[in-house]
Amino acid sequence: MANLQVLVKGEFDRLNKYNLFSANFVALLFWLVIAWFFEGQELQIFIPFIFLMDSTMMTILLVGATLFYEKKEHTINSIMISPITERQYLFSKVLVNVLNSLFTVAFVSIALYLMKGVTFNYLLLVGGVIIVTVVHTMIGIRIAYMAKDFTSMLVYFIMYTFIFLLPSILILVGVISADFGRYLMILPPEVSRILINASVGEIETGKLLFGYGYLILLSIGLYRFMIKPKFMDYVMRETGV
Amino acid sequence: MFNVKNLSYQYPKSKGNTIDGIDFEIKEGEIFGFLGPSGAGKSTTQKVLIKLLPNYQGEIEYKGKSLASYHDEFYEDIGVSFEMPISFSKLTAMENLAFFKKLYKNTVDVEPLLKRVGLWEDRNKKAGEYSKGMKIRLNFVRALINNPKMLFLDEPTNGLDPVNARIMKDMVLEFKQQGGTVFLTSHIMSDIEQLCDRVAFIVDGKLKEIDSPRNLKLKYGKRSVKIEYKEAGNLISKEFSMEEIKQPEFCQLLQSKEVETIHSGETTLEEIFIKVTGVGLNG
Repeated sequence: MANLQVLVKGEFDRLNKYNLFSANFVALLFWLVIAWFFEGQELQIFIPFIFLMDSTMMTILLVGATLFYEKKEHTINSIMISPITERQYLFSKVLVNVLNSLFTVAFVSIALYLMKGVTFNYLLLVGGVIIVTVVHTMIGIRIAYMAKDFTSMLVYFIMYTFIFLLPSILILVGVISADFGRYLMILPPEVSRILINASVGEIETGKLLFGYGYLILLSIGLYRFMIKPKFMDYVMRETGV
Repeated sequence: MFNVKNLSYQYPKSKGNTIDGIDFEIKEGEIFGFLGPSGAGKSTTQKVLIKLLPNYQGEIEYKGKSLASYHDEFYEDIGVSFEMPISFSKLTAMENLAFFKKLYKNTVDVEPLLKRVGLWEDRNKKAGEYSKGMKIRLNFVRALINNPKMLFLDEPTNGLDPVNARIMKDMVLEFKQQGGTVFLTSHIMSDIEQLCDRVAFIVDGKLKEIDSPRNLKLKYGKRSVKIEYKEAGNLISKEFSMEEIKQPEFCQLLQSKEVETIHSGETTLEEIFIKVTGVGLNG
């Protein structure tokens, strides 16, 4: 537990030193500037979009970038010959991203309240953001495993976004009918959209339960079958093999 | 300390074994050198011993227990200095060390270590601004922060100038004098000769020879003395066996001739290596 705290604190320090926090913060300010121009119904649509982007795309980019730096600087070797387990290492990545997403929730919520007087169901928002961030941290780690360098990581990221996230965004902005959404429920970003949308609007309890259940099972499945078993292969590759 | 029996390792995408059925023992308090050309299996053996490559075949015992049975406590015991620079480039040397230090139960004060390797003045400089030699020295300090009982050093003087290489070697010898054990991989002969109590030659994943540098030199060297002397303006070379130097002819030659050089037939580790393996070290 003590080592997990060290890993998490170390990760936050590095996110700060490598300016990844700053980049994330600039993105948040950008979303808030855009939000300034929206009112009423448009704002109700836009708010979940901010949280969706942060807990999906920003999460993948952040975890991908930290793993990329650890790969480039071979520091993962040094971490793995320390008395920590691969579970602690992977869990620290998840925890850092969840805390980062919760910071976004707090910052954006306060800003939107001060700017527009908007409030929403914070409990559902926090719950949704946590599970969505967990799943997308796993996806980000899996992408980092596959990528040979930063460019290929970005290519995989764009492929993921295009294939899985684009339909959800098109539904969110009304290009695709929301009725079509039920067929996209197996796509992680679509389930994520539904869970985060629940904080600003009505949602069927069944859908909500399915969404949480599906993402929890997906997290466990990703960790059990795609993240943990491949971790030592990834480390091995980074040791110069 | 380590007992390795019939160790083999094959990388998942490789066709053959990178390490092929090797046996050796690392005794407590010794510096054990692993010598071989690039790609011979030196680093792979080290990675298996430090548990970075788990799916090996054969038996490895550490302090009488299977290596596989160790978890965190093993890493409390060892320090590893990798060949390539390993540090968070945007963090200072002190921040790098502080991060890793917090992961261990038993740690040392880094100030004397940084002073010794000449990095104290630059301790608050970002590691990314360090030269390669400084990064290697920082690696070495990182390897020592948990006061390890055993050190794994992969090409520890690679990229260092002679003065810093000397400091590093002195520190390794002091570590040994204080009871530490060292596993050292290198292709630099002088490091092996100056530091190692025993040395193993590895080629194509197989161990060809294990012994002390002295015994290897005795085994593979020529027991002879070669003398070069001037006679009537000509340079003459003559070789005497160890038995022949007891004869009057040898003493007479030394007394009566203008001797220019005397060389023993002692061979170098590099020559032994080539003789044993038929492979050049940089090959």
